[in-house]
Order: sequence, then structure tokens, then C-alpha cells
Amino acid sequence: MDALLTGAAEVLSGWTLLYMLIGSIAGIVAAAIPGFTVTMAIVLTLPLTFSMEPLTGISVMLSVYVGGYTGGLISAALLGIPGTPSAVATTFDAFPMARNGEPGRALSLGVWASFFGTVISTLVLIVAAPPLAIFAVRLGPWEYFSLIVFALTIVASLVGNSLQRGLIAALIGLALSTIGDDPIMGRPRFDFGLEVLAAGLPFLVVLIGIFAISQLASEVEDVGAIRSGKKLVKGEIEFHTWSVMREVLMRPVNLVRSAVVGVCVGALPGAGGSIANLLAYDQARRASKTPEKFGTGIPDGVVASEAGNSATAGGGLIPLIALGIPGSAVDAILMASLMVHGIQVGPRLIMDNADLVYGMFIAMSVASLMMLVVCVLSMRVFLRVAEVPKWLIVPAVLVCCVVGSFALNNRVTDLYLLGFIGVAGYTLRALDYPLAPLVLGVILGPIAETNMRRALMTDADWTLFLTRPVSLVLLIAAVLSIGWAVRGHLKSRKTTETSA
Amino acid sequence: MSEDDTTKSAEAGDVARLLSYVVIFLASVGLFVEATTIPTSRFEVLGAGSFPKLIYGGLVLLSGAAIFGAVRRLPSGALSRFAPSVPDWFVRRRLVLAVFACLGVYLAALPWIGFSWATFAFLVVLLVILSPRTPFSLGLTLVIALLFSFGLNWLFAEVFNVFLPRGRF
Repeated sequence: MDALLTGAAEVLSGWTLLYMLIGSIAGIVAAAIPGFTVTMAIVLTLPLTFSMEPLTGISVMLSVYVGGYTGGLISAALLGIPGTPSAVATTFDAFPMARNGEPGRALSLGVWASFFGTVISTLVLIVAAPPLAIFAVRLGPWEYFSLIVFALTIVASLVGNSLQRGLIAALIGLALSTIGDDPIMGRPRFDFGLEVLAAGLPFLVVLIGIFAISQLASEVEDVGAIRSGKKLVKGEIEFHTWSVMREVLMRPVNLVRSAVVGVCVGALPGAGGSIANLLAYDQARRASKTPEKFGTGIPDGVVASEAGNSATAGGGLIPLIALGIPGSAVDAILMASLMVHGIQVGPRLIMDNADLVYGMFIAMSVASLMMLVVCVLSMRVFLRVAEVPKWLIVPAVLVCCVVGSFALNNRVTDLYLLGFIGVAGYTLRALDYPLAPLVLGVILGPIAETNMRRALMTDADWTLFLTRPVSLVLLIAAVLSIGWAVRGHLKSRKTTETSA
Repeated sequence: MSEDDTTKSAEAGDVARLLSYVVIFLASVGLFVEATTIPTSRFEVLGAGSFPKLIYGGLVLLSGAAIFGAVRRLPSGALSRFAPSVPDWFVRRRLVLAVFACLGVYLAALPWIGFSWATFAFLVVLLVILSPRTPFSLGLTLVIALLFSFGLNWLFAEVFNVFLPRGRF
């Protein structure tokens, strides 16, 4: 109890709250700009926290973290461009909703879902950190590979008009992930002697090229509309924050299920928000009585994606706090910031620095509340983006994409890749290939390959994938998931044929 | 758009998709062969080429099946009707082509003349191409170009210590 009060007193002090507020705003703004990720925002914040007390510093970084997971929603909803990789699924419904004249509702739904997702993940973090962490680190490469196989079945939900083109897009994504050094032995592959390919394709550059550049290019297709100063969203912009809060709370099952998916994915080292939002969206769609409405701008899609990605913030802290194992790049930076302050991170962290750990729990809660307040107060400002004419916003966002891609690795060659992938993305979009499965393939490819090969290096016996209980359960879930999706496709095709 | 135009457009789309399947098929076959040349390691059963072989093998099968299905569905004479519709498609998307052309020149020039000047020129040219030609929009073009070129460069250098390309001149 003493430790809890000590931690609370430090987090709730005036200066810490002020720094956290600044961190929250910085996280939201950074993630709202396409090409800038939560990781980048946290890296830039780290040096600024060196002179602070350990708990103050980590609280500021947590507020950037929580703000960042929500900020990606803004460009996803208003521009159709995921601000961060964790907001890919948010574009599926928030963007159509905004284009249908309800940008305020789309943003409010996302903000509230993010808030409740973070709160639920913090509660899980407090209650279940040690047992969940121990379970997560006991999983071997067999279970990870089976998990990725299960995650790949999401593709079936993201294929759009054609299952065949969706699968081809997913395989293209997986193929792109094989370019560069192989993840186990470091052997160069498919670089054809080109420097630009030798280091592989950075995931963020692929994401920006595929989603942002192709979306921006498609915005200028209509010559007449763009020259007449057409705005991104038609009509008056209104938002009703409190009624939208009720709308989110009216979906408790979707909210809790998505948050639990986010916590579980976040707790797995190597996974993260970029997988959680897609997985949560997929589960919501499968559980829905009207799955065909997903992708047209319905609240359930926005709630699932945003609750799922925000809940990974708490989930990622579970192995970090309980075992000293960072679950993602952001968690690794948080861990580094603790180590800079001379705090030993590991299983004894909660025993040796109980006040700090309890302080982190409180900081997470405060950060989510701050994110909510900042988003609600600044929503009108963000919504102004939707009123900017297309001719102005397209070139400006293109420059942001270029800067974000360059700042990732400080490599000019990444910019050439960006241009090439942008053209390829636009071509695929024009040919009616769904882009989400491609991005999913790029995300999951390296994890799938690493774990498949690691499993077979540990033991050459293939049957271990089927005899290890967790792996078997995941593979059965994958088979069921594919069966369910194929059934849905056949059903919808039958309905279309009957109505035709 | 008349019903005839819609049918023609859908048919042209089907042909374009068929061509894309062919390109993917040929590329996948080539890369599958390339993957077989990647040497295996004595430390593992699979080797660095195994996962790519799996992926490209899948792509060969899927794109092959897609080609078969698309050819079967395509009405006769569709290929000959496709060629004349290509220039129309590009004309309708001339602004998209302009955006990509500007982006290409911008990205090529960036390491040579530096971020600030390259971005300024890119924004001025692209904004002038896209904007309605009014004095207000031209003024706004200059302000936005300055803000997102020299302003952004200053912000990254001074606040974040991230140095955008400076150029060789």
C-alpha cells in the first residue's frame, strides 16, 4: 500500500502531470502525421527524460506511448492513411464513415474505444501481469509459428471483392518480406546486387508507399473536383462526444473482446499493435450478425480496431514488468529508459521497485485519461483537416510521407523505394487488389519464417507443430477460421447470384 | 456513363487484371528458380531459400489458376478492344501521372540539391498544377511551400536533431 501511495504521489505531482500532458500531445500529433510512428516519438522523447526522476521520465514516455496509439486514428479516419502501422484496420471503417459526412463521429468512436481499450489493458496489467507473462514466454517457436498461421487467416476477411486476388496480395506481401538478409543466418536474398534492396524493405516504407502514396494519388483522379477546390469531406462537420461514448459502451462484448485480443497480442514478444488491430477487427467481423457491413463505415469496425491497438500498450508492459522482456521496439525503449536511470529490469523489478511499478500502473491510467481529454478538446482542430481542399493537402502530406520515410533510417535509398512502392500500390489499387492483405503479409512474413526455421533447427520433427497443445489449438483455430471465412464467401456469392 | 461504357470499362479491367496475373506468374517463376539457388546451411534443415520457395510456389499456383480462370471468362475480341482503351485511361488520370512524375523528379533531386530547395520546388510545381488558378491559392502555395520545406527542415534539425538531406551543392 505504501508503495502504491508513493508511486501515486510522484505521478500526480504538478510537474509530472504537466510533462505528461506535453508528452500526450506530442504522441498524438506525431502519430497523426503519416510516416511518423509511436516508436519514433518515443525515441525522440527518451533523451529529454534523462534529467528527470525515473518515474517522471517513464510516465512521460508512457503518455507519448498511449497518445501515439490513438494519434494514428486521426489520419486513418480523415485521410484514409494509417498514421501508424497499428491503425491499418481503422481505415476500413473510420475512413468510409468520415467520407459519408461523419468525420466527428468516426474520430470520437476511435478516441473512446482507445480510451476504454487502454483502461481495460491497464486493469489486466495490474491483475494478471505475472501469470500472463510466464505463459507468454513459455511459448516456443512452434506456438509462434502456429499463431502467425492463425493470424494469416485474417486475410480471408480482408480480401474484398475477390478471394483469389486477396490471397495473391497476401503472398506478394510475404514475398516482399523475404527481400534482404535472411533472418536466421543473415544470408543475402533477392537483392540482385542492388544496394537499395540489400537491407530489405523497411516495413514502414512499404506501409506508407502502399497506403499513403496510393491513397493520395487516387485523391487527384478527378481533375474537375480537385481544381474546383473540393474538400476531403462534404457537408457540415459535427461531433457529439458524449453520445458517441454511449455508442461505444453499448458494444461491451466487442470492446472487451478487442481489448483482450490487444492485451494478449501485446504480451507476446515480437507481436504488437500492428497485428492486434487487424486481429481484433477480424474477430469483430466474424462475430457480427452483419459481417457484410464491415468496411462500409460502421461503428463496430472502428471500435474493434482502436480498442485492439490501444490495449497492446498495457499488454506490452506485461512481460516487461514481470520478466524484463520487451514485447516490442517501444517496450525496449521504455526498458532502456529504466536502465539509464540505474534500475535493474527483470523478474525482481516488482519486488525491488514496487513504488515504480505501481507508479507505472497509475501513469498508464493517467496517460489514457489525458489522451482522452486532449483528443476531445482538440478534435475541432483535427477536424479542420477534413475541411482543407484536396489540392492543398495532397502535396503537403506527400512531403510528410517523404520526411517520415527518410527519418526512419536516414537513408535516401528508402525514398526511392517509397516512390516505387507508391506507384506499385496505386497500380494494385487500380486493378482492384486489396492492399490490407499485402501489408499483413509484410508484417507477418519475417515472424513466420523466423519461427518456422527456429522450430525446425531446435528439433527437425515436423509433428511437434501438432503435438504441442497450444500449437495444435492455434492450428485448429486457423483451420476453423478459414472454413468460416470460405462459408461466408460462398454464402455472400449465393446471395449476390440470387439477387442478380 | 452509359451501360455500354460500363461494360467496356469492366472488360478492360478484366484484361488489365489478366495481364497483372501474367506478370506475377512470370516474376514468381523467376524468383522461385532464384530461391532454389540459395545455398543451405549445415546448421539447419530448411535453409534460407525454403520459405521463399514456399511463398513463390504458392504465387505460381495462385496466379496460374487466376490466369486460367480469367482467360476462360474473357469474351472473344476483348484483347483487341483493350489496346485502344489504354490511352483513355491514362488521359483520365493525367493528374495522377503528374503527381507521380513530380514525386519521381523530387526524390531524384533530393540528395543533390538538398531537402529544403527540392521540397520547395516540388511543392510550388505540384500545388500550381493542382490548385484552382486564383491569386489567393497562388499566395497560399508560396506560404505552404516555404513552411513545409525550409520550416520543416529547421524543425527537424533544431528540435529533433534529425538532419534531412543537405544536398551536394
